[in-house]
Amino acid sequence: MKIGIKSVILFLVIISLELFNPIYAFPNNVVQDDISENEPEFFVLAWKEGTILAKKETSMYIEVDSLGRQNINILVNKKQEPVLFTSNISTSVCADGECRLMKIQLYWTLLGGYAGFDPYPGFPLTKHEHDEFLNADYLKLHQLLLDNKSILKQRKIDELIDKPKQLDLNGVDGLSGATIAEVKETVVAGALYSCYVAWHLVHGVIKVKLKAYTLSKLNDEMVINMLYSNNLDYQMFCLNSIDELQYTEHHDRIMEIFDSGIPLVRSVIIKNFAENFWNSPELQKPIWNYFSTIDVNNRSLLLNHLDKASNEILEGLSSELKVMTKNQLKIYLLNLENKISIDAAIIRNLRKFSEANKYTYAYLVQNFLEDRE
Amino acid sequence: MKYFISVLCIILMNLQIFSQEILLEAESFDNKGGWVVDPQFEQQMGSPYLMAHGLGKIVKNAHTKVNFPEKGEYHIWVRTMNWAPGEWEAPGRFKISIDGVLLESTLGLRSGWGWEYVGTTKVEANSINLELVDLTGFNGRCDAIYFSISNKKPPASLNKLTEWRKMVTAEPNAPEQTKSYDLVVVGGGIAGCAASIAAAEQGLKVALIHDRPLLGGNASSEIRVHTLGIYGHFERILRMLDTEHYPNGSPESKLDQEKRDRNVKSYANIDLFLNWRAYDAKSMDNTVKYVDARQTSTGERIRFVSPYFVDSTGDGWIGFWAGAEFSYGRESVDIYGENWDEHGELWSPKKADNAVMGSSVLWRSKKTKSKQDFPDVPWAMPVARKYEAVNGEWQWEFSRNDLHQIHDAEEIRDHMLMGIFGSFWNAKKQPENANRELEWVSYLVGKRESRRFVGDHIFTLNDAKEGRKFPDAVVIETREIDVHYQIILEDEDNPDFISEALFYKTPKYYIPYRSLYSKNINNLFMAGRNFSCSHVGLGGPRVMRTTGQMGAAVGFAASLCKKYAINPRELYTGYLKEYMDLIEEQKSPKNTILKQ
Repeated sequence: MKIGIKSVILFLVIISLELFNPIYAFPNNVVQDDISENEPEFFVLAWKEGTILAKKETSMYIEVDSLGRQNINILVNKKQEPVLFTSNISTSVCADGECRLMKIQLYWTLLGGYAGFDPYPGFPLTKHEHDEFLNADYLKLHQLLLDNKSILKQRKIDELIDKPKQLDLNGVDGLSGATIAEVKETVVAGALYSCYVAWHLVHGVIKVKLKAYTLSKLNDEMVINMLYSNNLDYQMFCLNSIDELQYTEHHDRIMEIFDSGIPLVRSVIIKNFAENFWNSPELQKPIWNYFSTIDVNNRSLLLNHLDKASNEILEGLSSELKVMTKNQLKIYLLNLENKISIDAAIIRNLRKFSEANKYTYAYLVQNFLEDRE
Repeated sequence: MKYFISVLCIILMNLQIFSQEILLEAESFDNKGGWVVDPQFEQQMGSPYLMAHGLGKIVKNAHTKVNFPEKGEYHIWVRTMNWAPGEWEAPGRFKISIDGVLLESTLGLRSGWGWEYVGTTKVEANSINLELVDLTGFNGRCDAIYFSISNKKPPASLNKLTEWRKMVTAEPNAPEQTKSYDLVVVGGGIAGCAASIAAAEQGLKVALIHDRPLLGGNASSEIRVHTLGIYGHFERILRMLDTEHYPNGSPESKLDQEKRDRNVKSYANIDLFLNWRAYDAKSMDNTVKYVDARQTSTGERIRFVSPYFVDSTGDGWIGFWAGAEFSYGRESVDIYGENWDEHGELWSPKKADNAVMGSSVLWRSKKTKSKQDFPDVPWAMPVARKYEAVNGEWQWEFSRNDLHQIHDAEEIRDHMLMGIFGSFWNAKKQPENANRELEWVSYLVGKRESRRFVGDHIFTLNDAKEGRKFPDAVVIETREIDVHYQIILEDEDNPDFISEALFYKTPKYYIPYRSLYSKNINNLFMAGRNFSCSHVGLGGPRVMRTTGQMGAAVGFAASLCKKYAINPRELYTGYLKEYMDLIEEQKSPKNTILKQ
């Protein structure tokens, strides 16, 4: 490894500033004198106006090869409730024999997920040839850090810069390697090494420690706070932690999440509703209203509970046959088939659907009606 | 002469004359032109069929001679399906022509497999020349053509159709021939090939039944997935079968295909039944007695009798028919304690469900020197939406919880075709793709996960995580466990035919022999993705060098089972040392001479 004399001098200057001048030790807009009043520049959680967070030390740290331990602090609100983890990171990033110092303030959620970062005032991140990061570059880094399954996770740095083998068989054009293309798309151009280091700092083993720390101090209030957060990890954690009673108690919030959530969170909600939910026509009614607007997988999960659905719901579904896949329609018809009698309104809707002459699976309904005659 | 008699038998068999009706199976056409035989969905829709897989270019006519017992006016029905129904012209339209005259009816229009009425034709000679005329190049499909003096439509439902087929063709219940072997291996993927070679090298007389013309399954040049994993104890055998690490979908697979076919065919005591698809197996007293298979074009049938069977079909058909215990879907995270906190529900669900890893259809396009048109594909756009692509790698994968990877495999394949054709159409709008044309699109579904048999040991993530060293460890692997999920689960705007992988790094791990034979069927081995494992446990060893190791391990096991006239379990309980010595021996210098 070659380290130029300029780099060494710069490094010593930075270290000395960090040791002796607290103004430079923490970025102005985040944690100064152990108090944070401003939202981190790149941040994924909601930041309520007027939030004031105080920094407390923990025994946790990240070990950085060149510069040793980087301590992890916890930020707490006025009620002394933990809100975020943070660390002021100084580490060296080496590429092509040249090492530079990277300084960045990282934030994690209470579950160890990526929460955001602040560039370090006076020490912008740099790219190849020492070009400074532009705002768009910081945004791209933020997007990269948001991806906890990034391709950077699986690969050593050397593997990311290897040129893929070109294929040329029988005159066929070469295929560009998927790996390198994917890497290029996700990292800041000219800053692969910085991106790689930052990603591994955020998503390294520290995540597990942070979560364990939170779990050791977890109480009901913290769990319910997570339900009311806009963070998917928090919501999922809470939805998988609360009991049947709490599902009922927070029904409205859960339905809000169901309404706005991604398919994965919806499926967790449907799966976790307990028997008492499906046994209650009133409780389950609102969720069926989403049937035609949610994704196919969750429609299937809902249909698993068809045997507990009221006639009113079955009738409502008979107007939604067009959104059902073939197998979903079969499940719906099978459910009707098992009934002693079918409401006239449902039969009317089935007939209308089967005669519309524009639906792919109308023949299934035609067969069903024929069999009943 | 032998050939002539065979052909005569085949013709008689397939053009069985029953009164004044003729059922012509499309796959038995004399010349298939540009149509391909697709036998993948026989268990779901009733038969292999012909498909016009022309990537948007009209394929050459398939033609055949049909003999008629009597002259007269015949009604004609064609069994077909519109594979992308909706408010547009059906993508797979075709017609038939008789003695050079194109009949008016356009076919391939109905939703779901069934009969479309063509009209009548006057037959005034003893035979006619029949042609299938593709109109689109987009996967029109024809299962059978039925001529009858009577105007009675054949039955539609699969059960009735199966019985009706038997009646019309006067097919007896049992196959015409019976063949006996020391070992019958069903499924010629890497696992099945390795099992056959290992057993053959130990002197067993082996039947290897495979429903395609080419060996290798997902590694074949028809599907083109490269082999991953390590060789374990069986480098010599697996090097005869595996692939280079080229990009998935690469035409380089053809070179490995030649190597593989040549090597397997070089074994005198392997009887290779290519283009034969097993359709039934019977067990008595928890013992498989026989497997019945049918030639995918001629319909000829053989009953295979053996004391031992290897189910390397991937979908686990032999065990399924024989009544072997199996599982499907994702277990609850608590069943085997397979949680991975970081990925939670995506990795292993809190409550069991029927989600599994999906199937891939690989494809590629190429640049040419001139502008290439690609037809409009409105029927593909509801699936492709705005997604653009010019090649498809492993991420082109489809799984959805209302679709079963076996029962709904045709819909899964067709969904992928819509994703491919639509995404390519979108990409073609870009000026830089003006000269691009589709070069190759597989029509075979490359499956990752379907039935998983239950053996005496169920291999799980924890076996891998802890690197458990079993006394009967016959498979070794270092590859991480990776489990896939559909990216639409994270964002509804994502395409539903693209997946992502979650990689869990593990130490070197081992699979015990006890995961390679059935718990309740006494003489059934399994090798391949249908071995005994959990959903997450399958994540690592599903790759093909690893499944190849499983195959080799059961091939050697079968040889000792035969030697002592014991069942697979008894080999573990009574002869383990000899078995493990035999496995260990495979690494010795005399066994490392490579056959390339």
